[in-house]
Amino acid sequence: MSEIKNITGAEALLYSLIEEDATTIFGYPGGQVIPIYDKLYGFRDRIRHILTRHEQGAVHAAQGFARVTGKVGVCMATSGPGATNLITGIADAMLDSTPLVCITGQVPAGQLGNDAFQEADIISMTMPITKWNFQVTSADEIPWAVARAFYIARSGRPGPVLIDITKNAQVDKLDYCYKKCNTLRSYEPIPLPDKSAIEQAVELINGSKRPLLLVGQGIKLSGAEKEVVEFAAKANIPVASTLMGISAIADDFPLYIGRLGMHGNLAPNIMTQNADLIIAVGMRFSDRVTGDLSKYAKQAKVIHIDIDRSEINKVVKVDVGIVADAKDALNSMLQDINEANRKEWFEFAKVQLEEETKNVITPSIHPSDGPIRMGEVINILTDATDRNAVIVTDVGQQQIFSARYSKFRNTRSFITSGGLGTMGFGLPAAMGAKIGVPDKEIVAVLGDGGFQMTMQELGTIMQNKIGVKIIILNNSFLGMVRQWQQLFFERRYSFTELENPDFVRIASAYGIPASRVIERDGLNDAIGTMLKTEGPYLLEVAVANEENVFPMVPAGASLSDLIFKE
Amino acid sequence: MEAQEFIVTAFTENQAGVLNRITAVYLRRKINIESLKVSESSIKGISMFVISAITTEDTIKIIVKQIRKIIEVLDVAYHTPEQLITQEIALYKVSSEIFKDSGMAEKVIRNTNARIIEMNNDYVVIEKTGAREEVEQLRKELKEENFLIQFTRSGSVVLHRESIEDLLQNIAL
Repeated sequence: MSEIKNITGAEALLYSLIEEDATTIFGYPGGQVIPIYDKLYGFRDRIRHILTRHEQGAVHAAQGFARVTGKVGVCMATSGPGATNLITGIADAMLDSTPLVCITGQVPAGQLGNDAFQEADIISMTMPITKWNFQVTSADEIPWAVARAFYIARSGRPGPVLIDITKNAQVDKLDYCYKKCNTLRSYEPIPLPDKSAIEQAVELINGSKRPLLLVGQGIKLSGAEKEVVEFAAKANIPVASTLMGISAIADDFPLYIGRLGMHGNLAPNIMTQNADLIIAVGMRFSDRVTGDLSKYAKQAKVIHIDIDRSEINKVVKVDVGIVADAKDALNSMLQDINEANRKEWFEFAKVQLEEETKNVITPSIHPSDGPIRMGEVINILTDATDRNAVIVTDVGQQQIFSARYSKFRNTRSFITSGGLGTMGFGLPAAMGAKIGVPDKEIVAVLGDGGFQMTMQELGTIMQNKIGVKIIILNNSFLGMVRQWQQLFFERRYSFTELENPDFVRIASAYGIPASRVIERDGLNDAIGTMLKTEGPYLLEVAVANEENVFPMVPAGASLSDLIFKE
Repeated sequence: MEAQEFIVTAFTENQAGVLNRITAVYLRRKINIESLKVSESSIKGISMFVISAITTEDTIKIIVKQIRKIIEVLDVAYHTPEQLITQEIALYKVSSEIFKDSGMAEKVIRNTNARIIEMNNDYVVIEKTGAREEVEQLRKELKEENFLIQFTRSGSVVLHRESIEDLLQNIAL
């Protein structure tokens, strides 16, 4: 517990951030946070502040930072428009359980409610998209509020927290005393697994012939990567991951059968429909995973392990619900689960993989002619980085091709906007990720549409010399919407065609080395050059204009009705 | 599954914003709140919410779990109206003409356990406590006889049939 007499609220905020080891802030100054920025000037040796080009860039960067490091991401903005510009990122972090502390300035307490200049009621606006938020109206509340904010953001099921600090609270004096928060009487972040539920689950697992283990981001959040592999190996159960769970399990783990969901691999989707037991860990049965619920996993009993009680029976009715941290739950079952021979079940997985390889994967990643395809770019990138890069995607076709064809050895290596599907997420999130783990190769895979939603962040990359590699898969379309228009709206390409600027020249204007590749022959070298170049690099790849992602479970269809081609 | 009335009782820290967070859980699903009462519980610093809404049991189960997730919520449960001891207070402003019809005044006061709390040449204010059906029945009768000028009623005041004092004491520790 540290104490300092008679300092301003702004100083107390900065000392509090240091107490929480939150020494990287992404932010943007403005009228109602000037007192904080003024004190930040004197803290430059202790706190690194990254000035983004837009508050949306700041919040996505904080998300990227949090997702890759597991720490709480911090962003800061002024009142009014600064605060409202954070909203998309906060909503994104809420759906994807990303720990964030967002700090916003606010008009002086005495002017609240009077429509003062740049006043926005950000507390009400962010209420449904924050795990917790709080308006600080006097300086002495600051240490208390910051301690709570970090505790709530990072514990249990993580999520975004917002603290709104009125200007008077920033400039008034207080006797600072910091006490970390580690318990709240109304909050139970980590429920312990119920013993009888564990016993029932073990019984179902030991009695099942065709079990399937589905893992989500909860594995990463819990740090249960090792436990889930041990668990699967001991009981000899095939494992699939959700989009958010990608990289929690290394792709070369022999029992790993791929990705679930709308554009996932064939084996996990078909096996969901044939399984007699689903063991879902740290995932929430998104509609992108289940397809038509009334036809989902009809032959299976379901065990659902989640730290959030409200996820149990929310979407899929379960036979056994275990409200617990994934690691605790897996550890409690490990001892009692038995090995079983599931030769036929794995054989079935193999047949699915062979079918998918022949019909989809090989033509996607090894096309013989025609324009460059997105899948082959990702495949080359995976090989060239020896599966060690962190891939950060935007939203759309490049996201799905990245999810399908990138491969990983390490956890927290695939960063994407899963729940909210936020276009414009990729570039700033990659920036934040690179700052979080500077020694790792961070590659942003973006579309031409999504890149242009937040491309002003090239300025942040330039100014802070952030060595992030950027690949733009340019098909001159909003590709995913175009795909739906082609498949389900009789090819009416309503406002999905883009006339694009010269991306290489845009990068050059920011002093970022860049090149464009159009021919397949040059692709390997172009990716090699990108990876060899020190610092940031932008590679534009001209890809086929009208490529589609397959397989696909059409929206509202059952997992059994996935389609392979147009 | 059929929609019916469910009463949610929640105990929370007495803090700004909790009300918004709780009602937002209903609003997200476009469920209209029929009545809402918030006041201090028997323990200082802990508020008690009583929220009545019409929905299905499946939905109310999820709503309760989502309310429980709100950081400041200490405890929450759902009930059917029969499971709780429920009373409402209603005030009826009626025309003083009601005294000219002696039968009606007699009926109101005697048969319904209502009482007169204010009275002048123009109107009489009657107060009645009871279950919602009783309160509504009196309203209907007064209206049919053209006496009713104004009407208001409180939300439900409820008591759990089982003891919750132990629960509250545990929470408050």
